[in-house]
Amino acid sequence: MLFEFDAEQRLLQKTVQDVVAKECPPALVRAVADDDADIRPLWQVYAELGWTELVDPTETVELAIVLEELGRAVDPTAYLATTTWFAPLAPGVAQPGQTGSAVFDGVTARPDGQGWLLDGTARFVLDGDRADWLAVVTPQGVFTVPSSAAVATRTPVFDPLLHVADVRFEGVAVTGGNLSGADPQRGRHIALTGMALTMIGACRRILDLVLEHVRTREQFGARIGSFQAVAHKAVDMHVAIERARALAYFAALTIAADDPRRRVAASMAKAAAGECQSVVFRNGFQLFGGMGFTWENDLQFALKRAKAGELLLGGAAEHRALIAKEYRAADI
Amino acid sequence: MQLTFDAEVERFRAEFVAFLDANMPTAEEATERSRSSAHIPAWARRWQRLQFDEGWLLPGNPPEFGGRNAGILEQYVHLEELGRRHIYHSFNPQGLGIIAASLLSFGTDEQKHRWAVPILRAQITAALGMSEPGAGSDLASLRTRAVRDGDDFVVNGQKIWTSGAHDADVLLTFVRTDPDAPKHRGISVLLIPTSTPGVTRRPFGSVVSRDDLDFNEVFFDNVRVPAENLVGELNRGWHVANGSLGHERTLLWLGFSHRLDDLLADFTPVGPLDADQYATLAMDALALRLLGSAALARAARDEQDVPALSVLKVFGSEASQRHTERALESAGPAALLHPARTAPDHHLRLDTDGAGWFERYARSFAGTIAGGTSEIQRTIIAERVLGLPRS
Ligand SMILES: Cc1cc2nc3c(=O)[nH]c(=O)nc-3n(C[C@H](O)[C@H](O)[C@H](O)COP(=O)(O)OP(=O)(O)OC[C@H]3O[C@@H](n4cnc5c(N)ncnc54)[C@H](O)[C@@H]3O)c2cc1C
Repeated sequence: MLFEFDAEQRLLQKTVQDVVAKECPPALVRAVADDDADIRPLWQVYAELGWTELVDPTETVELAIVLEELGRAVDPTAYLATTTWFAPLAPGVAQPGQTGSAVFDGVTARPDGQGWLLDGTARFVLDGDRADWLAVVTPQGVFTVPSSAAVATRTPVFDPLLHVADVRFEGVAVTGGNLSGADPQRGRHIALTGMALTMIGACRRILDLVLEHVRTREQFGARIGSFQAVAHKAVDMHVAIERARALAYFAALTIAADDPRRRVAASMAKAAAGECQSVVFRNGFQLFGGMGFTWENDLQFALKRAKAGELLLGGAAEHRALIAKEYRAADI
Repeated sequence: MQLTFDAEVERFRAEFVAFLDANMPTAEEATERSRSSAHIPAWARRWQRLQFDEGWLLPGNPPEFGGRNAGILEQYVHLEELGRRHIYHSFNPQGLGIIAASLLSFGTDEQKHRWAVPILRAQITAALGMSEPGAGSDLASLRTRAVRDGDDFVVNGQKIWTSGAHDADVLLTFVRTDPDAPKHRGISVLLIPTSTPGVTRRPFGSVVSRDDLDFNEVFFDNVRVPAENLVGELNRGWHVANGSLGHERTLLWLGFSHRLDDLLADFTPVGPLDADQYATLAMDALALRLLGSAALARAARDEQDVPALSVLKVFGSEASQRHTERALESAGPAALLHPARTAPDHHLRLDTDGAGWFERYARSFAGTIAGGTSEIQRTIIAERVLGLPRS
């Protein structure tokens, strides 16, 4: 196994980093959090660069590269939901540049004449309040509907940049034409991997900020990064990130290759990202001292993105339970 | 990124597998056990020599030194196949991986043929004399003194931890040749045959057992060593030390990777807490392999990043330690047994042979202490990977 980006992938990574530095700087993220700044121009940039079209499963590693960098920038758009929740469940449904999300459970489809009626309320749907489309996973299949068919209410949460919503379906009529035929399992693997990469990106941002801080902040006449108790905590953050990153890209690779190991690999990616954010949040917050405790410090955005990711799509412990059960049979 | 190796590398693997299938020592041959890291039973000497002669011992070396000029990816699959079979290519690993390797990098032609080849062919064994009672992590503070006298150096001082010294024929010894120079610039390296008058070796037991004799104290009392046994340049020993320990670093993680794979096979989780731990073990094992193969890919492109390898050592050694502890504690009172069978019987699987869980756990500390402790590795990562200020 050769587990490294090839030249084209390295180039893509560099391009994404450059674009993100220019188009999605910390000042914009802060303006969204504090003043609800308009993010449509940013979304337009992503669409023009073709990033919103990176939805063919064979391009999952490329998508992963974009997701990691957007996680690092704490992207305020609906990119994650559109490319990893919606698109895998609804190939070809949306127009280029449209957004989407998915309802993984909580909604039933009951037969009605030629079609079905969708009923139920799904909680904590990522970007459910601002998606153009929704893919709805039911035992009868995956239906895609315009979001106007449901009633979405944004939920107040600790992360000012995160959109999650209650999405309510009341007898929404759908037909065979709304069935997408997509494999909901595979969709879930992509969603898990995408969330893991977003969290890892956020963790890298936290480490970037911490390194900058401990290289310059002085106490006791020395830069605090020269104290081993500080330096070794930063190293533990780095090791946790490297581990989680390796597992997340492995999951992306198995998805791109449609390798059956993707089921366990996606859970490993999500579990490792969860373990990573725990170390990185704790050490990152701690090493900033009082400065990390303030609203003014941008550290908060990455901390919150990383922690929120752990709370969606099943936490580390839940995924470890699946891994323990299936590992030996998965032949990894 | 790819999930498999290219066909060329796989052909190499197939050829090596065919060699192993045809030549691996059988259980009947392999009865005598190795008693230290510099004791090679007769059957294992024959086995090592065969590998040398066929170019399979260290495939990266040229044929005259037991290889076939193979690339780094081929060297990796070679070790992968050995690991899969729990087989050692040598029962004197430091002789092969550190001492012979240092001689091939820094020695004269004469030294390569007189010392390195016999070590590689298992005609003699070697031990590494670096650490001293006062010089462990701070190796550069070593004090064993060598003074030039005519055609000889005269050596006085003491080494400790010298694994296998009592069974070794020769010691690669780090000595101080210039006490007035800054500490890194006054060190040299000498090959000292253990039969030289004035060399005393005193093996002592390990935490595992009074009778587990691998550690040694080695005393040098006016030991005369021919000047031709100087390895590398005078007072450039620090350079050799970095090279010696660097030799196997690209693939060092593979040892931890095999230990994690062993644990995946030997540790059967009971109950949800164990299952949770087992999942982490499975993730650690895969992550280490992925990170290791990324390092390998960099090495194959000649973009080796040595400090980044410290990440693999810290991660691999601490993961195997953590999971071995879990297996130990999960076994309950059965883990009190010593010796004990905790791995399937296999004649070439000597590392876990008769080792109970406590012994396996205790031995995991070799990974976090020897070859630069975890604390020292973290400091290296902080300074050279993360760019933090020096302490
Ligand atoms: C199984 C085994 C086999 C060995 N084989 C050999 C051999 O064949 N040849 C040989 O020469 N040596 C050998 N060694 C010795 C080994 O290299 C040393 O044990 C190692 O370098 C640590 O030195 P020390 O034991 O003196 O510990 P110390 O250096 O005294 O360290 C004790 C503790 O203090 C910590 N510490 C020390 N300095 C720092 C610092 N600056 N910052 C933070 N923490 C610090 C260490 O991390 C460690 O936790 C072997 C050791 C083991 C365990």
